[in-house]
Amino acid sequence: MLDRLREPWSDQRAERTLGALACVVLVLIVLMIVFVAIRAWPSFHHNGLSWFTGKGDIDEQIGRQVNTGARPSAADYTLGAWPLIWGTILTTGLAVLVGLAFAVLAAIFIVEFAPAQLRRIVVPVVRLLAAVPSVIYGLIGILVLVPFVNDHLVSEGRKQSVQYVINLSGTGLLVSVVILTVMITPIMIAIIVDALYAVPRGWKEGAVALGVNRWRAMWTVSVRAARPAIIAGAVLACARALGEAIMLSMVSGSKGFAPNPADGLTFIFEPLRPLASTIVEDAESLNAPAVQASVYSFALLLLFSAFVLSIGAWLAKQPMKKYGIRV
Amino acid sequence: MSRRLRLLGVSAIVAGVAGAAIPATAAAVPVITMSGSTSVAPLASLLAKGYLKQYPGRVKFKLAQGGSDVGVADVAAGRVSIGNSSRDPKGSDPGGLVFNKIAKDAICIVTNPNNKLPNLSQAQIQAIFSGQVRNWSDIPGATATGSINLVVRTAASGTQDAFQKIFMGSKSVFSGASAKASNGLVQQTVQTDPSAIGYVSQDFVKGTNAVSYQGVGCTLQTAKSGEYGGVRNFWMVTRGHPRAASPLQKFIHWVQTSSKAQKIVQTHWVPLK
Amino acid sequence: MAVTPSAEPLRPLRPPRKRRVNESLRTWRWGDRIAYLLCWASGLTLCLIAAAIVVYMAVKGLQFLSFDMIFSRPQPSADQKGSGGFLDPLLGTVLLTVIGIAIATPIAVGTAVWIVEYGRPGWLARAVESGIEIVAGTPDIVIAIFGLALFQQSIFGPLSFTAEGGAVFGRSFLTAGAMMSLIALPMVFGSTREGLQSIPAHVREASYGLGKTKIATIRRVLLPSVKPNISTGAALGMGRIAGDTAIVVVLLGATLRIDPEGGVPGVSTLRGTGGTLTSFVYNNSPAGEGNAPQKAYAAAFVLLLIVIALNFAVDVIAKRGAQTGLESTRLGA
Repeated sequence: MLDRLREPWSDQRAERTLGALACVVLVLIVLMIVFVAIRAWPSFHHNGLSWFTGKGDIDEQIGRQVNTGARPSAADYTLGAWPLIWGTILTTGLAVLVGLAFAVLAAIFIVEFAPAQLRRIVVPVVRLLAAVPSVIYGLIGILVLVPFVNDHLVSEGRKQSVQYVINLSGTGLLVSVVILTVMITPIMIAIIVDALYAVPRGWKEGAVALGVNRWRAMWTVSVRAARPAIIAGAVLACARALGEAIMLSMVSGSKGFAPNPADGLTFIFEPLRPLASTIVEDAESLNAPAVQASVYSFALLLLFSAFVLSIGAWLAKQPMKKYGIRV
Repeated sequence: MSRRLRLLGVSAIVAGVAGAAIPATAAAVPVITMSGSTSVAPLASLLAKGYLKQYPGRVKFKLAQGGSDVGVADVAAGRVSIGNSSRDPKGSDPGGLVFNKIAKDAICIVTNPNNKLPNLSQAQIQAIFSGQVRNWSDIPGATATGSINLVVRTAASGTQDAFQKIFMGSKSVFSGASAKASNGLVQQTVQTDPSAIGYVSQDFVKGTNAVSYQGVGCTLQTAKSGEYGGVRNFWMVTRGHPRAASPLQKFIHWVQTSSKAQKIVQTHWVPLK
Repeated sequence: MAVTPSAEPLRPLRPPRKRRVNESLRTWRWGDRIAYLLCWASGLTLCLIAAAIVVYMAVKGLQFLSFDMIFSRPQPSADQKGSGGFLDPLLGTVLLTVIGIAIATPIAVGTAVWIVEYGRPGWLARAVESGIEIVAGTPDIVIAIFGLALFQQSIFGPLSFTAEGGAVFGRSFLTAGAMMSLIALPMVFGSTREGLQSIPAHVREASYGLGKTKIATIRRVLLPSVKPNISTGAALGMGRIAGDTAIVVVLLGATLRIDPEGGVPGVSTLRGTGGTLTSFVYNNSPAGEGNAPQKAYAAAFVLLLIVIALNFAVDVIAKRGAQTGLESTRLGA
């Protein structure tokens, strides 16, 4: 019987086996989505569309849900998740924007400008940064960055100006975005570097032969050709940023507060709490039905945003098809 | 692949499958499983170690964590024998549970070591933590200046629950206070920020200035003697009363009454006697 | 017309000497110069940040780290002096990473191959791609609680410990490893897919032209050529697994020592609970309740070293694989 398995497979059998494997993966993922949706339903059913608005203090609402425990009344399911959604948008969006610029520049540096010895150092450095556990990033955040911001960047006057509304300490948007950028940039760099190496050398040589300098040749030819990979890297990094929970729960301030851009520079020092950190912090009370519905509704929103990201990336890659780049 | 390699591989797989399928007949030793609060976990693991030292080979322990509510739910569902809880029984807990008190723990108000605040009354604590007073200049005895950096715990915490009940009473904590997810984070914040004030479990006051409450200092001795008012309970939750002479009942009885267990508790927590 | 031979014998032509062309920045436009400087700045900043992280963790960790800590087992203890080392969490990290990546890599490579090479029907391929990207965006805590609910069903009893009441504990190395593979899957999948898509069409066509079937082409031509990409993805995935805390705390029990379950050696470890360095660091750091920060820093430093070593190992494997690949088809690099 083993001999039959070792014969060369026909294409149809191979296609069906690999397709079955892919289907198993899909079934598991759909199972997870259905599981989350079923448990999240009571929260959406009770709140309707007002789930997305910022009614009341969300910390107070979650606190009440934790305290009523196993027997919540219908009114306990009330939830207005806007502060958390806004916190997630801010941290993820800013980190991906800054990280993307940083990653493209660093990838060009690795592929083009770095001397050979430096390249041998920088590539393992990128892999190392991608592999540092988020707990260590969180530790460095609370031991080094948060005290630094608290003592030197947030002035006493600024703290006094908002002290009856919110307590400003070092934790907040600035530290969260800085560390999150450092966390997700290596992922983008790794993928973009692989893609830049895969651009046919003749294309760039043609540009250089026409007299274009090295930077411009890189930018107009290689980076343009690697656009699908840049988008893929950005999507993976954005997904990673959406799902980052433990590091952010240590440095983001753990408050369901929506930072207000109208506050001027104080805005970047205000504490917040993204959705994933909320899930981690409330995960131990998960057996209370109201808390379970709220936590799973946050999870469902995160799954849905990852889905929208995926569709968006696919749409963004479509116009590039006509240039013959394989997307 | 050579024939020998194939034979080796197949026999290894068969052995593995057979081994997994055979029920564990060698497990004649009963197993006591615990899960629950992360604050009680160090105490629970020390008690388990002490019990095994006194009665070796009698039982085997399995200790997981996850939080007080996870422990209570696990024990109610029958997944574990003991649930560790650092919060008092709530009316909304599942029925049929018995809460066995095993130790007590003091909650201390702490400030930065450079801010030598000697004493706070309950009214002062309520005023500070509810957000009425926001400047250190309004607190007599404080050497810090500027805006008060108020550090509290997040909503799902047992320590926060105890703090609310014991110190705040009916007043609610200032909604704009900085929230931290664990005792250690509060301790670390208070250690590094000169204008911070917060509350931690008695085990975590190292490196900070523990403020006296109503004239009584926050130490193990005062908590044990009952003078210090801010004390909360640690529980081991079981599903109903454990059967008499069962290994579980013997363990809980040992924890609550034996002198060895009390000595273990006394190292960092407040014993029952 | 006769060709007049030259007077002297022909000298063998030497190949032209390679001269380093140092393109002077003076010829560049201002915008290009700024971009050049920014590229150098980002590259150097990366190195500085990595060096700062490693040096900081080394300084804080080496203060407390002693050699026997790595080889002694953790003991429950009230203060940091008597509580042993972290051998068990270290073994737990290595074991869990190996299990997770061993499950994830074949599945991810197989799925990527199917999507790029076959991918029929089209909607199914898009659905699988979107599904994997959704998994990439899920917080690890959600995957952990889903895994717990899944593996507490009675059919998964053999994977972990069953209590006397009949309830399945659901926490073991096997269950945690299965969910960890879900975390690493998108990384390996993404890298492999990018690698396969960057192989030019003429390589495949040449193989078909020689009469090979599609599956033979995949096995003999394409897969060896994307080994570096698979190793990049595996390195990213292993980094993610080694650094994950939530799944370990929820699905592995985060016990102090590895507790085997059942009688068979090997399988009993897989069915038992344990801890990893990440849960050890998390528990003992200020973020947990263990109140042993120096231990946490020492363990964090060791964790960093393990991660560096894992990366290095993956690099070596990739380089050895790339020598047998088809580099001549890669017109870049």
